Amino acid sequence: MTTSVSLPPSPDRAGAVVPIPAREPSRRPGGRRRTAAGVAAGALLWGYAAVALAPLLVMLAGSLRTEADLADRPLGLPLHPAFENYARAWSDGDFSTYFANSVLVTCGSVLLGTGVSVLAGYALARYRFFGHAALSAYFLAGLMLPVRLGIVPVFYLLNSLGLIDSRLGLVCVYAASGVPFSVFVLTAFFRQLPGELEEAARIDGAGELRIFAQIMVPLVRPALTTVALFQFIPLWNDFFFPLVLIGNTNKYTLPVGLTRFVAEFETAHAQLYAGLVITTIPLVVLFLLATKQIVAGLTAGMSR
Amino acid sequence: MRRRGVLLAALGAVAAVALPACAPSTSGGEGGKKVHLTVLSWRPEDTAGYQKIFSVYEKKHPDVQVDFRGIKATDYLAVLPNELKKSQGGPDVVQLKPYGPIQSLITGGNLLPLDGKVDVSRWPAETLQAARGRSDGKLYGVPFALQTIQVLYNKKIFADQHISPPTTWAQLIAASDKLKKAGITPMATSGLQPWVLAIDHQIFGATRYGAADFSKAAVAGKKTFTDPDYLASLDVVKQLEPYFPDKVTAVDYPDAQAMFTSGKAAMYPGGSFELGPFKQAAPDLDIGFFEAPPAPGSAVDHPVTSGWVDGSYGVNAKTRHQAQALDLVRWMATPEFGQLFANQLKQISAVPGTTPGDPLLAQMLKNYTDHGVPYMMVVSFGYGNPLGRDAEGTALQKMLNGDASASDAGKEIQKGIHAWFKPSGSGG
Amino acid sequence: MVQAKRQRRLRTRPPLRLLLTFLVPGLLLYTVFIVYPLVSALQYSLFRWAGTRQAGFAWLANFADLFTRYPLSEQVWRALEHNVLFFAGTMLVQNTAGLTFAVLLFRSRRGRRFLQTAFTLPHLVSPIVVGYLWSAMLNPQFGVVNASLRAVGLDALAQPWRGDPHLALPVAIAVNAWQWIGFPMLLFGAALAGIPEEYHEAARCDGASAWHAFRRVTLPLLTPAIGIVSVLTFVGNFNVLDLIYSLEGSQGNPAGATDVLGLLFYRTAYQNPDANAIGQSSALAVCMFAVIFGTALVASRIFRRMEERLT
Repeated sequence: MTTSVSLPPSPDRAGAVVPIPAREPSRRPGGRRRTAAGVAAGALLWGYAAVALAPLLVMLAGSLRTEADLADRPLGLPLHPAFENYARAWSDGDFSTYFANSVLVTCGSVLLGTGVSVLAGYALARYRFFGHAALSAYFLAGLMLPVRLGIVPVFYLLNSLGLIDSRLGLVCVYAASGVPFSVFVLTAFFRQLPGELEEAARIDGAGELRIFAQIMVPLVRPALTTVALFQFIPLWNDFFFPLVLIGNTNKYTLPVGLTRFVAEFETAHAQLYAGLVITTIPLVVLFLLATKQIVAGLTAGMSR
Repeated sequence: MRRRGVLLAALGAVAAVALPACAPSTSGGEGGKKVHLTVLSWRPEDTAGYQKIFSVYEKKHPDVQVDFRGIKATDYLAVLPNELKKSQGGPDVVQLKPYGPIQSLITGGNLLPLDGKVDVSRWPAETLQAARGRSDGKLYGVPFALQTIQVLYNKKIFADQHISPPTTWAQLIAASDKLKKAGITPMATSGLQPWVLAIDHQIFGATRYGAADFSKAAVAGKKTFTDPDYLASLDVVKQLEPYFPDKVTAVDYPDAQAMFTSGKAAMYPGGSFELGPFKQAAPDLDIGFFEAPPAPGSAVDHPVTSGWVDGSYGVNAKTRHQAQALDLVRWMATPEFGQLFANQLKQISAVPGTTPGDPLLAQMLKNYTDHGVPYMMVVSFGYGNPLGRDAEGTALQKMLNGDASASDAGKEIQKGIHAWFKPSGSGG
Repeated sequence: MVQAKRQRRLRTRPPLRLLLTFLVPGLLLYTVFIVYPLVSALQYSLFRWAGTRQAGFAWLANFADLFTRYPLSEQVWRALEHNVLFFAGTMLVQNTAGLTFAVLLFRSRRGRRFLQTAFTLPHLVSPIVVGYLWSAMLNPQFGVVNASLRAVGLDALAQPWRGDPHLALPVAIAVNAWQWIGFPMLLFGAALAGIPEEYHEAARCDGASAWHAFRRVTLPLLTPAIGIVSVLTFVGNFNVLDLIYSLEGSQGNPAGATDVLGLLFYRTAYQNPDANAIGQSSALAVCMFAVIFGTALVASRIFRRMEERLT
């Protein structure tokens, strides 16, 4: 919901969207030059890496320590890992419910959002029709729309559709919010595909839908992964929409569940850390598994 | 014809992708023949207590099941209007914040008027005021809790330091100095949260500005918040700053609580509502309380206990079970509910004639009925944006930070209140 | 631009039925749940509201309220100022550091993947989590940050980070930068990788110093990337809400020192004792929309112009 979507430099350049080239760093002519500057640069990079990672380690360590231990010694290591923080957050803190809801809502939204975008992106990339440019611009404008500012009308809209307090309602809003970015990236990918394949299939008598489903979609699979991952992250992390649109705590997703947990167990820092880890861990795992696609998504439209 | 078919197919495709991923929410509700009443509250921490209270009700009304739903307090004001707007599936009975914040729900027609439907003949008018519409004067809720504010203290620390609860301002200062010398923070409080500072001001400053007399004059438009007595009362808080935690405006509410429960601070100016959480956090902590002695120059020469109604139970205008919901709030106005509430939740019930089981609460309530005064900024000036409490707290924050003098703060508070407040004397 | 002209023309003109099958689902979803609510917000802003009911057309009275009615009239400007500072601070700290890291990483080989991952990891963490995590770490009594400072004898540096009105906003900017730094770094990294090798070589052959080469050759070539990063930072910063909410609460503590437009909008809509809360908040939403969308649009136009001139 925030800015993890990438802005198109310009629609015309979109054709250049490719995953970031895994180009090797430029060969340094004077590789033997071990200058002071080089050492300083290294120190800076590795020093900041520590800054970037330390808070995450504090979170992990804190989640494994007891409440009393945390209060007595803010700086400390989990010498006797206390996994009961997780057990308690998971059951007493209702994180099991929030987790299930987050999985359901995020996956549902990503499937729906990617599904409709792949269709629209294909049509925009491969077909000529009246209003093509206007429609492209209409979708592209969505990349810059501050979606949250429509929250009050969104509430009334869902209310009139009977979708308030419903995970399906949340899925609809989320899926829609991912459409502009996905259409943008997928259009670019579809446009890059050579026309020969399509024409050959057409000569063989394949219908348009078959060409789309059996030939074209499999060819953009990397882009699909990128697009799906890129909807997944902000949706998994979103807090504002469920805060307003979901009232029933049984349907809370993890971020709103966290705020409820903080209110109820104000001083339970160890359990809070456990809750924070539970909320974060799926994305970290995802990131480590799919670094390449995520980086590609972040930098979509940037290269060349 | 064809085109519509395609459109339907497209819609079908949308639905087909969405549905398996996420079952539509059912309204649940009508399992068996029981009527389910949903009660919405900003106190999720009371869930277990309310379940016990409502089980008593359910025994007498076998056809009704009451489901208690707690929402985080800070999100409640955001959630409640949305819940009441729902055309279906909204809550039946809701907790309402007192005084100002319910007014927009009343003007929006979200609540059922209760006049003539609930027996409140024995209730004091000032209690009911918390749940009345400001423009139509009708009753929209049954108040459930009273809060009083005073100074809590750690009995063990006081005994160790040979201090007895102060009855004069000089004693309070002497005790605080002694504690400070012993390396104990005299008073824990949160300067980061404006509402906490406003409570501090009411506890220590009410007698200085003239308590109820002043608030009556201010409501009538005869006095303003730039009045010298009121400014001096703001200064009373500033005078206590040396006894607050270091850099008090940076201390958050849970941290102030933790300082008191962990024995790092000896006193805690706070509300009756703190006792429950304190007992839970530190079961062995022996807590006592005293009423703040009047500061020098006070317009009122005896200590007072300030209080207000914490909230009320109202009925959603859109409830599908109006008769049952009304039955429930009717019950909430009876001493039976009041007593259960007082016993289960360790709070002061607003129902007349009930006594809290907890001796401290009982004494607080006695003080309040005996020489209580309204918490002015909530009771009289909690009806517009900014709420009096917030305007005062923010101005105090600036004073404690050294960014404003008492007279600057008074001007700012007056400006905030003046933005929406029409004195009752002016005929507006 | 030239490249685009050369692009293969779209040849196929499909039957309408097929076209609709492809386009309608996405169009419908996007229009109904994104565009329509934003348009409705404009309509809402032109009405006076009594709680949840519309109570008559109000022309521009709600907008007038925003700028004339205390306390909104002061809060709006204060929040806008904080957003501007937030943006300036982020550009200065986060994006400059991001560019530096990108350049250093581009030149270094050892541990590059690891470093990239480490810098980007916080980006994945929910802003709500980041806020709670940092407020726990910055807690003056029980927090890790002050405890670490004291442990190494820097007691004087141990501050009430979140509670000092002069520190709170810079701290929020720093925490936000901690989370987002991987983003400009990756974008700049991709842009660097896109610069043809000859340029780098040319700079070196001239015997130019590293800094000189960077200033004269690399930086101009990065203009488009800088443009994109700036626009994205702007949009992101003017939408910021979750982080401040979990770090400083919905009031933007202390004493409103971290209040931003996003929070103000939330409070005006949902924590406003005024019966006309929906009218006022919708007016605010429309103004914010104009600022965010307008600036983003204009800025991206300008940067595209600059880019065209460069190529």
